[in-house]
Amino acid sequence: MTMWLPLLGLLLGISLGLLSDIQIPQIYTNYLSIAVLAALDTLFGGIRAHLQHIYDDKVFISGFFFNIALAAALAFLGVHLGVDLYLAAVFAFGVRLFQNIAVIRRILLTKWTERGKVSDANELK
Amino acid sequence: MNRTIGWKFTIVLLVIGFMISVQYNTLKHPEERDTRDIWAIRQELAEEKKTHSELLKEIRELDKTIASYESMSEHNTGKALADTVEKLRQQAGETDLRGPGLLIKVKPSPESIAYGMPITSISSDLLIRFVNDLNRFKGLDLEIDGKRYTMLSSIRDINGMTTVNGLDVSTPPFEMKIVTQSMQDCEKLYNYLLASSIHDDFYLENLIIEISEPKEEVEIRGWPEKFENLYLEELPKGE
Repeated sequence: MTMWLPLLGLLLGISLGLLSDIQIPQIYTNYLSIAVLAALDTLFGGIRAHLQHIYDDKVFISGFFFNIALAAALAFLGVHLGVDLYLAAVFAFGVRLFQNIAVIRRILLTKWTERGKVSDANELK
Repeated sequence: MNRTIGWKFTIVLLVIGFMISVQYNTLKHPEERDTRDIWAIRQELAEEKKTHSELLKEIRELDKTIASYESMSEHNTGKALADTVEKLRQQAGETDLRGPGLLIKVKPSPESIAYGMPITSISSDLLIRFVNDLNRFKGLDLEIDGKRYTMLSSIRDINGMTTVNGLDVSTPPFEMKIVTQSMQDCEKLYNYLLASSIHDDFYLENLIIEISEPKEEVEIRGWPEKFENLYLEELPKGE
């Protein structure tokens, strides 16, 4: 049940956004895309931490909002400095996303192989 | 995954989903790319400005009418109304009109006479093309072979004869009269017509057009038939 709740949240969010047909001005799309990236990064970080049993509520929630704000602020600063600083954020978040997803994959793989071993051992008994 | 963590992930995913769909909405919205260059935009702007100034002109005229209604004393209101009706009749082309203008003669071409070709009536397509060409200029009043051409006039082919307002146009030679708003407009139109490619279109039908010099005064007849009023109704009194 609790596994399906987050998926339900995602679907709800997407349908809410599509149905309300909210649009933001074209110049702010950079900010939003980077905010989405930051949010995804935090999410996968949270999932990894949870799987590694080092999950902390405060870190997760503060990281979520702080990363989004930081990414948007970086993009904003970049616009005013005339440097595409948001690319730095895209790069950083992109790399971290890949790393997090890789760690999650390994953990899941190990769990899966261990479960296989345990069931094999049970059958042998 | 325990329950509180589940809720937090749910909320975070809800926010993420919302952001993604908003981004999607924003990015897919301009489905057609604006490919106009600066000159195309300028041209459109110029057209809009033209419409703007035309609308302003109309508003000014209507304001004038309102002012005239207001300045008239009670017993003169009838006269003001009659004036307006007269003006509207003039606009609709019901009255005779005098003003600076041009005379255009449509004749068979000398070559067709020399070869002895039979002279046929001008085709309705050619006449429509000519009228369309004239309509580049605003504020013209036109008479084709004695028939006033108004907003409601039609040029049609009825049983092989080209007609204006349902009346036959005689076989060439015949005359068309144009009345313009001012002598300046008349000269502009004259110069345009001299250089226009409409001559070639006429020549293809073995016809030529002779355009007179701009004249100070040309008189054209009104359209004698009454307009059929299909849509406007008089309100019962007291409403």
